[in-house]
Amino acid sequence: MRQERSQAYKQAPWRTQIQWVGGFLLAVVTVAAVAGLYLSISGRSAATGRRIQNLEIQLSALQRENNDLQTLLGQIQSEHALSERIDSLNMRPLTPDEALYLEVPGYIPAEGPSLAPPPTAREERTPILLPEFTSSFIEWISLKLQAAPTNSSPTVEVLP
Amino acid sequence: MSENIKTRFLIICVICSVVAGITGIQMIRIQNSEAAQRLLTASETYQGVNRIIYPDRGNIYDSKGRLLAGNETSYEIGLDLNSVTNAETVASIAASVLGLDYAQVLGYTKIKPGNGNPFYIVLDDFVTKDKIAELETIKADYNSRVGKGNVILPSLDGLIWTAHSQRSYPEGTLASNILGFYSYLDRTDGRGYYGLEAAYDSQLSGRPQQIYITYDPQRLSTVEEVPPGASLVLTLDREIQAMTEKTLDEAIEWSGAESGTILVYNPEDGGVIAMATAPRLDPNKYWQYSQLFPDPMPFNSAISQTYEPGSVFKVITMAAALDSGLVDPETRFQDTGSFNIGGTTVYNWNMGAWGDVDMTECLQYSLNVCMTWLATGMGPDTLYTYFKNFGLDRKTGIDLGGENHWPLKLPGDNLWYEVDLATNSFGQGISLTPIQMAMSIGAVANDGRMMAPHLVKAMIIDGKQYDVDPVVVRSPISAETAHTLTDMLVTSLESEASNALVEGYTVAGKTGTGEIATPYGYSSSETNASFVGWGPAEDPKFLVYVWLEKPSISIWGSEVAAPVFSELVSKLVVLMDIPPDTVRLAGSNITAGQ
Repeated sequence: MRQERSQAYKQAPWRTQIQWVGGFLLAVVTVAAVAGLYLSISGRSAATGRRIQNLEIQLSALQRENNDLQTLLGQIQSEHALSERIDSLNMRPLTPDEALYLEVPGYIPAEGPSLAPPPTAREERTPILLPEFTSSFIEWISLKLQAAPTNSSPTVEVLP
Repeated sequence: MSENIKTRFLIICVICSVVAGITGIQMIRIQNSEAAQRLLTASETYQGVNRIIYPDRGNIYDSKGRLLAGNETSYEIGLDLNSVTNAETVASIAASVLGLDYAQVLGYTKIKPGNGNPFYIVLDDFVTKDKIAELETIKADYNSRVGKGNVILPSLDGLIWTAHSQRSYPEGTLASNILGFYSYLDRTDGRGYYGLEAAYDSQLSGRPQQIYITYDPQRLSTVEEVPPGASLVLTLDREIQAMTEKTLDEAIEWSGAESGTILVYNPEDGGVIAMATAPRLDPNKYWQYSQLFPDPMPFNSAISQTYEPGSVFKVITMAAALDSGLVDPETRFQDTGSFNIGGTTVYNWNMGAWGDVDMTECLQYSLNVCMTWLATGMGPDTLYTYFKNFGLDRKTGIDLGGENHWPLKLPGDNLWYEVDLATNSFGQGISLTPIQMAMSIGAVANDGRMMAPHLVKAMIIDGKQYDVDPVVVRSPISAETAHTLTDMLVTSLESEASNALVEGYTVAGKTGTGEIATPYGYSSSETNASFVGWGPAEDPKFLVYVWLEKPSISIWGSEVAAPVFSELVSKLVVLMDIPPDTVRLAGSNITAGQ
């Protein structure tokens, strides 16, 4: 058997060359695949980073705009501005004898304003960068293995 | 393969191995050298920046949620020297739009950045949005132009603007004596001065946080949010404050007074509804402070300026006399017109003798001799214990920066004389701030409970509103004494047909004319005219304290301060939705229809 193989290689020496070329190409493809994967993940990671930057810039711009609008509203509704509008409409403050008071059974005067934003369900902040972008390859593999369903943990149906 | 070729391959392999080995060793040496460490450290400065984030200063709202102090955007304009492509355009636009000096800006653009020179120069700060909009229009216009050949196009490249927050007071001078001001021009060390801005400076400003911002997008993550400072909701009502300020300004002009103070106070919870003083500063232009308030003029006389209140103080003396059981409203006193104490003779305000009077008439005619009789009857121990219980020996602790007080002279002190027992009983020889007077007399209007005066009704921290509970300081007198004294003061006002009466409403009150101490003794021609009153008498919703300093039209509180009280209260009851006695006492659950 060994003699036959040696004979075959002697009769067709290109077989050896093909072996070398094949091995080299395999190495090149492997390196290219790893490099491509790395590049892809780096690119997505960088793009996400930029998105975060832009969102934060947008957030602070919106906060500033919110402040500006609040102040503008304050200026428009300021006592001075309202007095001018009242004067221009030929209106004047009410005198005590002009006030009409009505009895409203069960009326409860309004409490002071609540200026805090209304309560909402507390939103857990999910990280924008997925673990795929921050964990190492080994960490990623172990994460996937842990996440994989096993026979020892049967699926339980949870009724609403 | 011959031996020769084998030897050659071996030599080449050895040479390659040696070169590779030397290269490897060199790499390791360089990587672990000091220079490499320095380079590594230096490179970190290009990877990101440590930045202190100053949170937005909290807002201040009145009791109905109207904005009194907030923030708005303003801009810093600077030159990025590396990016300037057309220095003349930059200098020209900076001069025409921002009003900067053309030659100076042009000079800045010629600076070569680096080698000790700056890369960035601040040209202007606190530039308004309008100016920035103008610059943006010009920049967009320049960017849209396409040049032909060697034509140099105008460009604003290198002129950059950065937004930041600026404190803003949309109401201008309104309630500025309460708000104080924030020195916003100092962007790193700005702080609150006077009023609420000083008292709540740390809460309003929040906690600045140092964060690291990386330039490497791969290392970016969400920056921790810096919560804004706490916002304040006040007990103050803007409409009532505006009306009170207007009334005060008119009263000062009408009476020829040097200055004045009007306090509108809720005796039930100690909340200050309005606090007007003169003059008032526009906190948006706080740098005018020293012009408007030359030393020693206080920023807020209601809490910072003590004065001898005169006869309004008789309310406290009578409260002590009633509560200690010395007298009751029907107790008679024979007024001979003078009372000798400690070698000094005390007279009534008109030097007259009023004969047989009861305690209500003592208040109605404002008899100094009667008060001296009460003070001596109680004795110094009892009277000064009441004074201390009324909080006259200390600050009220109101939540405003700049509160002042004058030490109360007590028996046994070096400067206390027996005659002080008499003079103190009618409000002379004792100095108090208007807020001290309002707080202590507020006990009479609130069933004997003295409430801590305060401005802040609630705080908004991290999106949650926390209400501030009213605090009872003490109960210096019983509820029965408070009701009795209120009735006496209602009667005394109605009996003398006082200028303080308000049509349709029952109010209790007392006038005061305090002589002013000079280096040559007390001046009778210059006085402090005061009035304190509260209503509706059966269930007080407000206490108003009026003080006019040195009025020229008349020296008497009954002629100067009392009408101001009446005028103010006639407007106040409308703004506070308080129906007249006929409606209010007829039924409950009344609301105003206006």
